[in-house]
Formats: sequence, structure tokens, C-alpha cells
Amino acid sequence: MTEDTKDYRSGIKPVWCPGCGDFGLLSALTRRALPNLGIPGDNVFIVSGIGCSSRIPGYINTYGFNSIHGRAVVIAQGAKLARPELTVIAIGGDGDFFSIGGGHLPHAVRRNIDITCIVVDNFVYGLTKGHISPTTPNLERGEERLLSQPFYPPLDPVLDMLSYSVATGSSFIAQGIASDVAHLGWLIEEGVKHKGFSFINVLTPCVTFNPPELFEKIKAQVSYLKEGEPVQLPASSKEKPWLHDPADINLSLKLARFPVLEKAHLGILFQGKED
Amino acid sequence: MMRNRITIGIAGSGGDGVMVLGSFLQKLAAGQGYFSQMPRYYGAQIRGGGTAVKLSLDTELPTVPEDNVDIMVCFDWSRYAEFKSELVLAQDTVVLCDDTEAGQTDLPGQHLSAGFSRESRTLTGSALNKNIVALGLLTKALALSEERVRKAISDDEELTLLKDNLPAFEAGEKLAAGFPLSQFKLSPALDDSPRVIFHGNAAVARAAIRAGCRAFFGYPITPASEIMQEMQAELPRQGGVIIQAEDEIAAAGMAVGASLAGAKAMTATSGPGLDLMTETMGLASSAEIPLVIVDVQRCGTSTGAPSKSEQSDLNQAIYAAHGDTPRVVLAPYDIAGCYRLTIESFNIAEYYQTVVLLLSDQWLGQTLVAASSDFLSKDYHLKERKRPAGKDSDNYRRYQLTADFISPMAAVGDAGLVYQTTGLAHNEKGEPASNFETMQKMNEKRWQKLAPLRQLDELVTVFGEEQSSKGIITWGSSAQIVLETVRELGLQRKVKVCVPELIHPLPDKIGTFTESVERLLVIEMNYSGQLYHYLRSQICLPERTAVYARTGGRPFSRRELAESISELAG
Repeated sequence: MTEDTKDYRSGIKPVWCPGCGDFGLLSALTRRALPNLGIPGDNVFIVSGIGCSSRIPGYINTYGFNSIHGRAVVIAQGAKLARPELTVIAIGGDGDFFSIGGGHLPHAVRRNIDITCIVVDNFVYGLTKGHISPTTPNLERGEERLLSQPFYPPLDPVLDMLSYSVATGSSFIAQGIASDVAHLGWLIEEGVKHKGFSFINVLTPCVTFNPPELFEKIKAQVSYLKEGEPVQLPASSKEKPWLHDPADINLSLKLARFPVLEKAHLGILFQGKED
Repeated sequence: MMRNRITIGIAGSGGDGVMVLGSFLQKLAAGQGYFSQMPRYYGAQIRGGGTAVKLSLDTELPTVPEDNVDIMVCFDWSRYAEFKSELVLAQDTVVLCDDTEAGQTDLPGQHLSAGFSRESRTLTGSALNKNIVALGLLTKALALSEERVRKAISDDEELTLLKDNLPAFEAGEKLAAGFPLSQFKLSPALDDSPRVIFHGNAAVARAAIRAGCRAFFGYPITPASEIMQEMQAELPRQGGVIIQAEDEIAAAGMAVGASLAGAKAMTATSGPGLDLMTETMGLASSAEIPLVIVDVQRCGTSTGAPSKSEQSDLNQAIYAAHGDTPRVVLAPYDIAGCYRLTIESFNIAEYYQTVVLLLSDQWLGQTLVAASSDFLSKDYHLKERKRPAGKDSDNYRRYQLTADFISPMAAVGDAGLVYQTTGLAHNEKGEPASNFETMQKMNEKRWQKLAPLRQLDELVTVFGEEQSSKGIITWGSSAQIVLETVRELGLQRKVKVCVPELIHPLPDKIGTFTESVERLLVIEMNYSGQLYHYLRSQICLPERTAVYARTGGRPFSRRELAESISELAG
């Protein structure tokens, strides 16, 4: 670790379980994205909600606010509007952004205020100890063994906010995975550099409340998107692979709509107009 | 004989031009120095339905309109019934019904048929200008200076509509001669310099900008929306930001974000919106983030009656939010107070780093008042946040325990003062800390820093004689009519009236007042007596304490208050 990268970690030891995917995001931010962007810590504001991943601001040596459940993205917008020179990043989990705070996301998208929104999607409510979340795999799809252990499985279908965000036309939509810190760091860099609202979904393992098979299965079939190269489609798809074009919202929507358990596309899914 | 005060009722259907008639008359009179108040009465309709105003013109003071109207102008008598308790007819009220009403069987006995529509049709082929005809008639009846009316019409851009329809106005002037209106001539105003016309919502918005507010976030809600509209028009010009948020949760959250980044930030709403802001109030109180929330109260419970006034959000303002959540509650009672207390709200929020709720109400918010412009031109002292002196991030403690419990606050983005904060229980550095000693100290800090506010005597006004043993405590817009009723009953020497503008934390001066009287009457417009119960929870009240509290939706009348006030006076 160089002297520079050390600067972005605060002295506080994370409360996360050993092996938690949140460590991946912490590294991607403090060892990759922030040092590479070279933005001084006092010019960065990280706002989070409530949940395991929302503890992250305390571990990063920038201005930070571990706020309340579901509201990180509105607080982030207010701060950015009041002080446009700030780099503002909103971080929260799938429960935070897709459930309790779900109503704020489309409006942040349409305002296209220049903030970066990172959703740490671990398919479960970890902090309350294993409750189902909007992204918990659905029983009807035959994914019983992938469900969190102590609770009854969900009857509601998965809420696919990635497709939803593409559909609402967020100006930068990407997906990363917590186990690939270098790639995730790059995505965050690109998201911060993008002038407008950036939405980054991070597939993240919960080692305590999800069976290990869930993340293993996701990880085994991820595919990295590269502009101009053919996309990989899940076995169930009868379509012919096309060349990835992040400017084409219809193609991006197709990619987003593949269930993560069949094929999770990592990279920049869509990049629209800048602010 | 000329009069010093007159009360005019105007009612009709949506589209009849009731508001235009009322506000033009108010404007022309204000240009000649007359004071006035013009409350608006309307239902929940989107378009159409009934609409009414009551305009009191006064040569000396912006008095609350009398219970009874002297002149009633009615374009649609079938609509009058909706407002009969606000626009009460007396024996000698002159009721001017439009000629289109002729033949209606239920018109009041004393009504006169005035050709508002007929004159308009003769001139333009349509009845659209009937309100302008009525305006001409009224200015003549009130004996407003013709010369100054003409000058206002030619000079004032807001009267362009009148300038363009001058023949209708003149036709109305001529009509006046045909009616027995000579008793309505007004004496010239004591001081004929022009008055400014404001409603409380506009006063709040203007004052916020004056106080340095540069970030406003709102969501449409009756009867508070005019604050957002005023901000929309003015704030961008001042280099500020304004967003119509997706809901009140977002509006309050954005204000917190902007405040953290160093801006003076505000949101405005009514009861249902305040419900949604409750979690943010708790957050701002806990993390000590300055935040001003304006609540223009309407009738509750739940959706209640959005366009009607009540004072029933006091409990919510004082107690809402889980945990021990200190905040400050202010309540203006007149137009100048709406302006002054908005500035005070920012001063307190910024200096004490806390949440301030400004409780206005529909009456204050939407009644157009022609008042002296003194409150606009006065000097107001602005207070700012305490900022850290150095730039030493390693040693900066955002929640440093100081002698006055106020910790210097860096704005997010300030060089060299990086800190993290949270709604979690936290220590002086802002780090999560849930041990008992820290939590106890931090609760003490957040509550005790507000203690000096109890000594702000200037935010509690006592009217009347100090030695009176009989007292009234009232608050918000109700105070205006209470004060006038006491005066009109000639009881100023017997009954003193205490009007707190700071309600929470409870000012010491209220305790001094209650200790000084043998009999106390608390007057407020809510069913459960919220101020009364709050006072009882904080201080001892005289054994002989009575409460006059009732549901809102209908303004207090002088007649109704006279009974309990006379009873108090004994």
C-alpha cells in the first residue's frame, strides 16, 4: 500500500463479518477509485443509509454520513446541489435503495444530478439477520437451496431494479462484483467521472445469511462486457449475440433483464447523456 | 358621517372573479393608506365550486374582519350558503346580488339587484367583466380618492387587467349612484402612505431569502404551496437552489444534505407532509444539522380539510419523532411575525445546530394583509453557525463538548476538516458509540444547548396591565382576534393577554405570566386543547384555569370569544 492509498482509509475497524463482500467495495473505493481519481478526501462526501454496507463512510477518510434507512440518495442530492464542487457518492444495500428508498431512485435518475449511487446488492437483509430483500431469489423459480436459511422464502417475485433503472434512462448504469476489486474500482471511477447520475449495482456475497452456493453460482456465470465485442447470452436465450453498445438503451435493457442467476453482465450496461 | 372601518364580503362560483375583485379593491385601498386583511374561503374543489373573500378596510390598523359584513357582493347566491358562517349578514347589511340572480326565490330580504353582468354585457358582449363593474361600484361607495385610483390604474403593472377594462370600471362607478350606499364612505386613512400587501406564505419566503436561505426543497401541499412558488420565482435569482421533490421525505432529506454542505436550508409543508418529515427531524436533531421546517397548519386529522385553518399540529411539532428529540417550535401570530420569526428560525437553527419548526396556519398563510412596510425595512441581526477555528482534521471533534454545548461545525467540503457523522449514537468525533456514558452526555448536550432560549423574553408578548389578575394565553393567528375582542369589550385594563411566539422550549416568561394571575383562560383552535396540556405538563397553572378550544374550519368570531372572555373578566 502506498502512502497515498492509505490516506483514504480511516482508522476504524469494520464491523463486517470476515469474508463479507463489503470489504471488496471498501477496497475498490479506497485503493482504486479514489486514489486513481486523485480527489482529496475533503472534497468527497459519502452518504449511506442503514444496513451492513451503510457502515462504510466511517471506514473512509472523506466526509461521510451514515444517515437513515432509504434516504442516502436524497441527502446526497441536496449536498451536491448546495456545493457542486463536491464529489458525492451515495451507498446502500438492496433493501435500502430498492425497498424502503425505492421511490427516490427514479427521481434521482430523471434529475440527472451528478452523483454516484452504489447499491451493494447481497440479496438479503444482513443487519436484521437474514430477512428477505427485494432481490432475494424467488422460490417459484426453483431456487430454494439458494435462499437465506432461517426464514420462510419470499413469495414475491424479484424486483429487477437494474432493468428498471435502464428503463428510466439513468445516464450511467453499470454492474460490478465485490470479488473483482480492480474491475469494480474502475467502474466507480467511470461513474464518478460521468457528469450526471451514475448507478452501479454491486453483486455482493453475504457469508452469514446466504448459503455459499448463491454467490458461487452467480460468480460462475458472470460475463464481462466490452464495448464493440459480442455479448454472452445465457443458455436459455435463443437470440444471436450482438456487439455491446452501451449507447443503445434497448440492447442495454435486454442485458439487464437476464436474471443474475443465469447470466450477470459486468461492466457499463448503458451510458446516456451527460448533464 | 364617514367610517373608520368597513367589512365587505364577496362570494361566487369559481370563474366569477371573486379573488380578482377582492384583491384589486384591497390594492387600490392600500395605495391610499388603508390597512386591511382579506381571508380566503374555499373548498376542496379543483375548479368551480364556491369561493369567497372577506375584506376589512381600516383607517388605522390591519384588523381582523368583523363577524358581520357591511356590504355583501354576491355573483351566485346558491354558493353563499357555503360561507354563511364566515360572511354573516346583519339586519343592515346591504346585499348586492348580480342581475343574473333576479327571480331566485331564496335571496335575502334586503337584497338589491345590481347590474354587474348587464353592464359588462352591454360593453363587451359578455358577463366576464362583471367583477370589474362591481369594483367600480365599490370604490365609489367607499369614496376612495378618484384621482389616486386613476393614477394607480395607469401606473401599476399588476392592475393591467383593470386598465384594459376601464369602461367596465367606469360603468360600475356610475351604478353606485343608484344604490343607498352613502353610509359606507370611508374616512381618509390616518397616514395615507401606501401599504404593502402580503400573505404569510409570501412573507415567510421573502424572509427566508433575507435570512440567507439558499436551498429550498418542497412538495406541493395546501395551504403551504405558495411558499414553494415564491421560492421558485426568487431563489434562482439569488443564486440558490430549489427542487420540487418526489415527496416530503425527500424534501426534508435534501434540505439536510444541503445544510451539511454549508447552505442555510429550508422546507415548507402542512400537517400530512410534516408526518413524513418526522424521521428527518430526528436525524437532524441527533446529528445536529441546522434545519428549518415551516408547517402551515390546516384542519387535521389525516387529510382533514386542507383549505381550512386549525392549530392542531402543536403536539406533533413539540413531540414528533421517536427517542429524546430536542427541537425548537416558533409560532407567529401576524404578518410581520411571519417575516421576523422566519429570520429568527434560521438564526436559531444555525446558531444552535438544531431543527426549528415554524408553525404558521392557513389563516396566516393565505390571508392577504395590507400592512405597514416597517417589517420589511427593519434591520434584522443574522446569526451564523460556529465554524472551527483551525484546519486540523486529526484533532477536529465535530461534537466537541463545550461550555455552551455548541460544537463548531465544519461544512462538508471545507478543506482539512474531514469528519464522519451519523444518526447512530455517536461520540465527540462523530463515530458510532453506544455506551451509556456517551449517550447520556450527548443527550444532555443536545438538550442543554437549547436552554438559553428559555430566556428570550422578546419572543413572548404580554398585552395589557401588569397588575391584572386575569390572563389569557393564546397563540398563532387566534391571538389577533383575541386581542381585538378584548379591546372591543373594553377589557384591556382587566384582562392581560400573553402571546408566546416561542413555544418550545417553554420560555420562562410564560411561567412568570401564569404565576401572576389568579384566573387563566387558554384559547386555541384545536379540539383537544394542545397548548393547554403542554403548559400543564411544564408549569403549574392557576386552579381557576379554563380552556376555550374547538375544532378549526371556521374562524373564531368576536361574538363567540366575547362570552368566555367576559366570563373570565367576571
